[in-house]
Amino acid sequence: MENNEKMMSSQESLNVISEMISRTKMNIQQGRFHLLLWGWLIVVCSLAEHLLFNLTSVENPWRVWLLTIPGVFVSLIYGFIKGSRQKVYTYSDRIYMWLWMAFLLTAIILFVFIGAENRMGTIGPFILMLAAFPTFLSGVIIKFRPLMLGGISMWIFSLVAYFAGPSIGPLAVPAAMITGYLIPAYMLKNNGF
Amino acid sequence: MKQYKDLDPLLHSQLRLAIISLLMNTESAEFTFIREQTGASAGNLSIQITKLSEAGYIKVQKKFRGNYPQTLCMITRLGREKFENYVNNLKDYLSPDN
Repeated sequence: MENNEKMMSSQESLNVISEMISRTKMNIQQGRFHLLLWGWLIVVCSLAEHLLFNLTSVENPWRVWLLTIPGVFVSLIYGFIKGSRQKVYTYSDRIYMWLWMAFLLTAIILFVFIGAENRMGTIGPFILMLAAFPTFLSGVIIKFRPLMLGGISMWIFSLVAYFAGPSIGPLAVPAAMITGYLIPAYMLKNNGF
Repeated sequence: MKQYKDLDPLLHSQLRLAIISLLMNTESAEFTFIREQTGASAGNLSIQITKLSEAGYIKVQKKFRGNYPQTLCMITRLGREKFENYVNNLKDYLSPDN
């Protein structure tokens, strides 16, 4: 694009505009990393808690969820490093980042409330219901239907986790992570995002 | 008879229009990103960015990332208004009957 003073026709102007706008797509690779990290981390934590509760006499099996604390730091450090290396920052990138930061803050407050009532073992359905929100909206922002459906599945699994009783309920959390985070994350790669 | 408005001469240039179009959808973009996307030479791009910046259409921020200089470009409110006017006027040329 060297001949910058060349007179353009209206159609040529329009072509330049649409071509350039199409090149400023949001960078979704960061989002994919977080979906995979949290998807696997929560699958492991929830299955470990379930197994510890049913097969051992370990007190407070919910303590496996403390693994999510280093997960938060890994997410934040990864996001900071990748963000500072990003050459272009779109408005969608900004909305996406703050949506998840808002979720993180809300989840921390929820942990404080539930922890204060000493009911940490019951937090699963509430976190699922909450996490469905940014998951669904992330799907809307990047126009990726599997992630939107993933968010909807998490709302459904939050109801299952709450009402299905202690034998099936805990398995709703890993199931929700598979449909809500992991499947969309693997599909993102295959869809060329 | 329909009156056609003149297209903003600052935007009616291939490279400057490309720069503004790229910035419309971004909060900030690095000089190197704009160069990659437009395929322009660094010298030419620099001249056009200066013209847009002097007119107040874009803001240029020079920073350092580690030891390397980094030039960030952002569209201003004026630049956004001028781009929208440009597109509206362009529509008149493209569909003269409306």
